[in-house]
Amino acid sequence: MTVTCPGGHESRATDYCDQCGAPIPAGPPAAGATEVLPALDEIDTSPAARREPCPACGAPRSGDDRYCEGCGFDFHGPPPAAGAWEAVVTADRAQFDRLAVAGMSFPAGYAQRKFVLAEGENRIGRSRGRPDELAPEIDLAMEPADPGVSRLHAALERRSDGVVVLRDLGSTNGTMVNDDPVPIAPETPLPLTDGDRVRVGAWTTITLRKR
Amino acid sequence: MSNFTTECYQNEYLPLGVSEVNAIVTVTSDGAPGQAEQPEAAEIVIIDTSGSMGTPRRKINAARQATKVAIDCIRDGVAFGVIAGTDVARTVYPTHSTLAIAAPKTRSEAKRALDRLDASGGTAIGSWLTLAGALFATVPGRTCHAILLTDGENQHETDEHLDGVLAEVEGRFQCDCRGVGTDWMVSELRRIAAALLGSVDIIAEPEAMADDFHALMQAAMGKATRNVSLRLWTPQGATVAFVRQVAPAIEELTGRGVQVNPLTADYPTATWGRESRDYHVCINVPPREVGDEMLAARVSLVEGEEPRAQALIKAIWTDDRRLSTHINREVAHYTGQAELADCIQQGLEARKEGDLASATFKLGRAVQLATESGNEGTMKLLQAVVQVDDAATGTVRLKHEITPLDEMSLDTRSTATVRVGSAAT
Repeated sequence: MTVTCPGGHESRATDYCDQCGAPIPAGPPAAGATEVLPALDEIDTSPAARREPCPACGAPRSGDDRYCEGCGFDFHGPPPAAGAWEAVVTADRAQFDRLAVAGMSFPAGYAQRKFVLAEGENRIGRSRGRPDELAPEIDLAMEPADPGVSRLHAALERRSDGVVVLRDLGSTNGTMVNDDPVPIAPETPLPLTDGDRVRVGAWTTITLRKR
Repeated sequence: MSNFTTECYQNEYLPLGVSEVNAIVTVTSDGAPGQAEQPEAAEIVIIDTSGSMGTPRRKINAARQATKVAIDCIRDGVAFGVIAGTDVARTVYPTHSTLAIAAPKTRSEAKRALDRLDASGGTAIGSWLTLAGALFATVPGRTCHAILLTDGENQHETDEHLDGVLAEVEGRFQCDCRGVGTDWMVSELRRIAAALLGSVDIIAEPEAMADDFHALMQAAMGKATRNVSLRLWTPQGATVAFVRQVAPAIEELTGRGVQVNPLTADYPTATWGRESRDYHVCINVPPREVGDEMLAARVSLVEGEEPRAQALIKAIWTDDRRLSTHINREVAHYTGQAELADCIQQGLEARKEGDLASATFKLGRAVQLATESGNEGTMKLLQAVVQVDDAATGTVRLKHEITPLDEMSLDTRSTATVRVGSAAT
């Protein structure tokens, strides 16, 4: 019997996560924890589970919830528009090993996180968790948080013509695309295509996917 | 089965950017004896019978008498034996190479065997411990404890040999070490006692030996729980800065941890009677943001694999300086007691090397710390070594004439601590 901590770890201890030490809220998960999904291979896809996946992001629907816990998709509303984009956040061991930042350890059991891109700007960053701040849409603050990601690091803009454009927002450690070790120039839009990998921080890789 | 309880003292509030979390964990055992499953004990008394024990004669006579007193404390059913140590080790009792089971008959046989004990030969403590280990190995499954008495330095074997023996017997038995007189080396016995989770003390006069052995054996018989470890879980990315027992005496445990899994290590604490011990745990965790809370360590007492009690050490980051600047009273107190022990050992070392300025400074600081914390026992021992002009500021003068006994008593007992609240208010 395990519980999932706000950082997405499976923990056998139910008071504090036995991986990262984060407090585990009692009862149903807090609102802030909703974009945490189990890794894809951990989702029970057997017919017995009978859980209808979200047509927008693929997260399993819990019970008869109207809105998807993964992306907020309205199950009662129209089907998702074709050509929707999603950003899949994973921890990349190869990237971590290549950068080899001293004194940092690779997060074990990092749960994949998915964000569906809204039209307009989707900022990537780490919120401080303050009530007065406007948290980035793609908020990577949850544990295990990548310390190399800036507060406001970069942005993915989904333009009305269906093109997604990446822009570095003047981050401390830069934003890399695919296997290019040279960071992109700050504040310079770069169009991306399906499957492009945006690399930020010590291990975070954000893969752009077209649905 | 004994019950364990824990209490945790800390200020969990940290300022932004700070990663060090300190806490004092008090562990108390009620010492209730186990029922049917109570582990049976095995006891060995190791007496130095080198030539020096015979001069004056009263030393060997007192050792003989003290061992008899200890044997009388051993309850029926406990496996026991006596080893005489010189440059070789031999069993005084029983005569075959195993241990005897305590009963009126065996106890009187052992005491008769002691009467034939005489003093001649050298000192090779490693060989004594090796024999003790071999005898304990003949009674598997018992809680093994030894008392080691010596009056001299380990002259007849190398340091490397002793280290090798300690590595070999470590974890197989617990050993309390006693030095009689002033011709033995504090650092040597401390090394043995630390490796074998026992105490070390000085016995100034041979006649005091019997009382001491009586107390040691009584305490050993009162141990209801064995094989207890302090289990420390820390989160990913955290490092253990140190773990040390801070009461009743300072024992460094940091290097003694045995990794259970990548996030968990066990620190051995040997046997428990009805007693209470304090531990200072210091963890470095990855700093987080204001308002974030995390568990910095989960401290539990495990007997074998069974958890018996636990304490939680937390960290909460805040930008409220009133919360974060406060230092917990228990943490401050034991940080001071650890510094006190360090100051005494460094001060005595400096004095031996002729660096009188450093010695005066260190021992002065020790006087100041002992006064602040109300550690009267240590203060009394310090006063034998320095002339105190002003205790509050640590102004002292080194005494010209210091007896080896005063110096060694201070050195040996420098790690004894007092609990919070001992200072006169």
